[in-house]
Amino acid sequence: MTAEYEQTPQPARQPLLELKQVTKHFGGLAAVQDLDLVVYPQEIVSIIGPNGAGKTTVFNLITGIYQPTSGEILFDGQPLTKLAPHKVVERGISRTFQNIRLFNNMTVLENVLVGEHLSLKASILDAVFRPPWVKQEEEAARRRAIELLSFFGQHLVDRQDEYVINLSYADRRRVEIARALASRPKLLLLDEPTAGMNEAETMEAVHYIRRLRDELHLTILLIEHKLMVTMGISDRIAVLDYGRKIAEGLPDEIRRDERVITAYLGTAATSGRQTWQVTFRRQPEGEASNHHE
Amino acid sequence: MAMLVPSQILPQTGETRRLLVKWVIAFLVPVLVFTLVWSGEAMLNAALLAIFFPANFSVSTLAAGLFMLLFYGIILGLVGYLVAADSGRQGMIDLWISMFFFTVVPILLIYITANLFVGLAASVVVWVIYYYGRRLVQLFLSSPSLPPLPSLTVLDTEMRATLTTRARLGSFWFALLFSLVWLLADLLFYFTGQYGQASLLFLIWIVLRTVLLPVAGWLLGGVGGQIAVRHALQANGNGGNGDRSDTPVSTRRLRLLSATRAREEARDLVPNDLPLRSTGARNFYIWLLVALLLFYPMIDPFLFGAGTNARLDNYANAGYYVILALGLNIVVGFAGLLDLGYVAFFVIGAYTWAMVGSPQLTVLTGIRINPEIWPWLFWPMLIVAALIAALWGVLLGAPTLRLRGDYLAIVTLGFGEIIPIVVQNLDKYTNGTNGLTGIYSPAFFGVRWNVSTSEPYYYLILVLIAIVLLANVRLRDSRIGRAWVAMREDEIAAASSGINLTRTKLLAFAAGAFFSGIAGAYYAAKLSTVASGNFSFSDSVIYLAMVVLGGLGSIPGVVVGALVVYAVNVLVLPQLDALGNDPTSIIYPIYTHILQVIPNFSFSNIRNLIFGIILVVLMIFRPEGLIPSTRRRRELHRAEFEGAEITSLDTPPGAPGFESEIHVE
Amino acid sequence: MDFLTKTIRLIIEGLVTGSIYSLVALGYTMVYGIIELINFAHGDIFMMGTLVTLLLVTNVFHLSNASAMPLGNLLLMLVVSFLASTVICALLGVLIERVAYRPLRNAPRLAPLISAIGVSLALEDTAKAIIGPSAVTTPPLIPLVNYSWGPILLHNTDIIVLIVAVLLMVGLQWLVTSTRIGRAMRAVAQDREAAALMGVNVDQVIAFTFLVGAGIAGAGGFFFLLWSNDTSFNIGFELGLFAFTAAVLGGIGNLVGAMLGGLAIGLIRSLMALWPETPPFGLPHGGVSWQDAAVFAILILILVFRPTGLLGQQLAEKV
Repeated sequence: MTAEYEQTPQPARQPLLELKQVTKHFGGLAAVQDLDLVVYPQEIVSIIGPNGAGKTTVFNLITGIYQPTSGEILFDGQPLTKLAPHKVVERGISRTFQNIRLFNNMTVLENVLVGEHLSLKASILDAVFRPPWVKQEEEAARRRAIELLSFFGQHLVDRQDEYVINLSYADRRRVEIARALASRPKLLLLDEPTAGMNEAETMEAVHYIRRLRDELHLTILLIEHKLMVTMGISDRIAVLDYGRKIAEGLPDEIRRDERVITAYLGTAATSGRQTWQVTFRRQPEGEASNHHE
Repeated sequence: MAMLVPSQILPQTGETRRLLVKWVIAFLVPVLVFTLVWSGEAMLNAALLAIFFPANFSVSTLAAGLFMLLFYGIILGLVGYLVAADSGRQGMIDLWISMFFFTVVPILLIYITANLFVGLAASVVVWVIYYYGRRLVQLFLSSPSLPPLPSLTVLDTEMRATLTTRARLGSFWFALLFSLVWLLADLLFYFTGQYGQASLLFLIWIVLRTVLLPVAGWLLGGVGGQIAVRHALQANGNGGNGDRSDTPVSTRRLRLLSATRAREEARDLVPNDLPLRSTGARNFYIWLLVALLLFYPMIDPFLFGAGTNARLDNYANAGYYVILALGLNIVVGFAGLLDLGYVAFFVIGAYTWAMVGSPQLTVLTGIRINPEIWPWLFWPMLIVAALIAALWGVLLGAPTLRLRGDYLAIVTLGFGEIIPIVVQNLDKYTNGTNGLTGIYSPAFFGVRWNVSTSEPYYYLILVLIAIVLLANVRLRDSRIGRAWVAMREDEIAAASSGINLTRTKLLAFAAGAFFSGIAGAYYAAKLSTVASGNFSFSDSVIYLAMVVLGGLGSIPGVVVGALVVYAVNVLVLPQLDALGNDPTSIIYPIYTHILQVIPNFSFSNIRNLIFGIILVVLMIFRPEGLIPSTRRRRELHRAEFEGAEITSLDTPPGAPGFESEIHVE
Repeated sequence: MDFLTKTIRLIIEGLVTGSIYSLVALGYTMVYGIIELINFAHGDIFMMGTLVTLLLVTNVFHLSNASAMPLGNLLLMLVVSFLASTVICALLGVLIERVAYRPLRNAPRLAPLISAIGVSLALEDTAKAIIGPSAVTTPPLIPLVNYSWGPILLHNTDIIVLIVAVLLMVGLQWLVTSTRIGRAMRAVAQDREAAALMGVNVDQVIAFTFLVGAGIAGAGGFFFLLWSNDTSFNIGFELGLFAFTAAVLGGIGNLVGAMLGGLAIGLIRSLMALWPETPPFGLPHGGVSWQDAAVFAILILILVFRPTGLLGQQLAEKV
């Protein structure tokens, strides 16, 4: 499918998300520089790159947490620029965070219910007077939240009344995805969805990310460090380094790309191709620009 | 548990007998003390006199009698519930000691001091000592605390029937013993000739009572048992009653629950290790409380003697503090926005009714309103005042949207300072420091309102509190309430979940201000005068202290916090002086002793000193507040275990705000 | 007094009160910088400083007329009162930290705030029990000398307060930037855990911060009494409010900001007296009665446009 796309770009197929020459400066530092990126409906696209390459900044730019210094971001053909984060969610983009940002003092179910905020209509007066339709709406919201949790199996449904702080790391990632799904997005941004997971959990994550596309027909843009994950599920991969896109293509092309290997392993490491199969992280000199994400 | 359903009353075996003895005695003592030592019987007798001798007729005496009927009814149901709900794991003696300290001691102390709040304050002191003494004894005996939730049993139909019967028995035996002791006491009175003229009638009443009480016990115990059964887990597909029937609990979920959420979930279930603290028992307490609040003005003279009007006046004042605390709780507790200028909205609410409901309206606009109709305007103006306050909440909230934490606090503090100054300086409209006088009381059918009778205000504030409470609970459980808490927890995640932060913050400010506006209008109407000098930053601080003391974000906690702060500040300390000067009171010797050391000493003069020390001590020993919301409690316990730092109010870990703040470089 | 003389006099008074606000604001900002607590009791520590001076001067030295006092006695009185108010307040600050704040270091954010409010109430009532509920006046602590150059009218007390305030501020700045303990303070302010791991005794550093902050407030109390000759039990609350506002105005946690904020607020309050009694254009009358409102209005405006205070971000230095 993706190979087809590479050879004959279909003009009928409108991109869902389009970044045009997007640049973001923090003071003097360019976190993202002239980035072009296109995501088509029902694709899984990965952004990879060393720590501090500006990947999460790209997510923050798309979701309206940052405004680009220059350039344009289009979603469904409409510009996203200057929209507040909740407006972006309204358009149909939702996301998860690298360092899981759940509401720790709320239960699993409540977390997902917060995600449904936009699809609920009760105003402050409705909440106080609680007419029948509001009751029904709340009921329906609960049912849907449980449905979303059941996407990850009975396991989370059973734990719906737990406070998320009591969940395992992998479960928290799942709840975060459920919360993101609750706002009925077209495009889902996943920021390192397998970070902190063990081998088995990672395999399962790969499985459900694919199911998100296949069963829920979502488009997915993800940041990932584990090549096992990116290579396995991505239709296309974009590689960032120092805020610039240094390569883009099919997983196999990226695997062989000299610039990518250099970016990750320095110049002397053409033979190290196999070593970054598992994981690659540049050493912490890039940390500074990452910990605010 | 495995015993057969007993059809006979008398012979009880093993476990059931133990439970019966345990609960019957636990309740017999306090109820008897209340009935015979204090005022219970007096109220009933007065009601009887009112019925049979028209000369003594008065509605309020009847109402007091009615209250006593309700009281005994609820207690009978409660005993039934407890006998059925108890897992029997807590020791008998242990329970009796606890019951003694938590019921008999306050009853006696209130009776002795003849003052509700002083009595309660003394009880609190006793409780604290008891609590620590108990801890010490436990440590000394190193008795292990109960392991959580071993009694997570699913009950089948037969066991349910057993429970209900057990409840009937418990209540029946309690009623029987109670009525017998009462009978004995009354006969003693009778034969010593203390009843005088009405003696025959009372003899009939006593006999009737002795027969009826056990019957009532049997019936009401059944009701209590039913309630207990409703809280029991049922096997799947068992039909059954209550709200749990449509969501049968899977055994797997039970196991998960018992593993992690043991303590909180355990409150809900029957059988229960600590049935007195279970959700089912809580319903009985709430009914008891509602009955007490509704009938209070009628029973007050029986409980405390003369001076009912002044006491009701105090309670009617305490009421608007409750509303203020509930309103502030929305802003600070739910939404996590530290507001140090909450008094501003109170001022706005007060002046709204003050300017419309007093001759000042005529002065300002020339409009003259028929003085018969004028007081009726209070009702629409109550809403208008609240809406105006809410509008100001939005107006003052808007500039603070980008601020966080302490900057927000200082700006709200600024508004809290500015508004009274503005009100004071616009003397053309507000009459400046002299304030506005002659503000109308509300009017209502068949009620005589004036400043000197407190009863109408007592009921008015009761209704207002009920409405505000309901609104608060509903808001908390709604989409909006979830958005508030989400925003408090993590602004960025909340925004990324589609929550409009601006709107949600402003809604919190508006909702908080709305309730404050209600309180303000009530305040103006009750006092019939407002002056700008009555409002200051220290009021905002007091409101905040109420919310934090009670437990941030916890609705029952905030209500209790407001009452405690008000009571300590206004009722207890000044009362201590009165008691200290009274040679018959217990603290008189202590008081005179202090006076020898410090001349001119009075508790009122060092009121803030004591209040300040109480604040500090409470914060050190209970930083999460008196009745924390479950959320806060978790936060704290997590902190204890992991030593993690808590960012409770406004700062999500890492990046606190938006755009301007996220920049790191 | 013509308009120019009056204006200049108001500016001088504004600067003097402003520098006292600054001294108190320093304590707020230091404590906030290091444990993120609005130390509501700080203003009352300042009040305690005035109180200690007052008690010493009236009850121990029996001051009635400073010019009639032998110079030696006068100097002794000044030195003793200054040292006593500084030291007692410093120790009081440490004591308060130890009793009311340290147990709450890991409690929810608002708990220490309420505790601070409790301490503030307790201190005020203690003072009220000692000096009574109304304002108390002392005779001038030093013989008053006026200097007058053209429109400028200066008292010797103005000069003393200004000079001492500047000295104290410079000293504090030096302490924080150039000494070992200052470095430790900054380290703890930046990251308490990391500082502890690096071997900084965090408890000690925090206690030292309270010691210094409260000491400066106590000294401020002495000079305030020297300058104004009156105090009351609730003076600390009001002055503390302005001082805290000054700290926020300057960017809380920032020493230079606190100093500038204090001066700014002193000037604003003072210059409001220039407001004409019957202003044109239907503006509200009575400038002085608006001075508090003006302070807060300006504060709000500044924060709305610069949410972190005047010097909030430019200077990363934070103590």
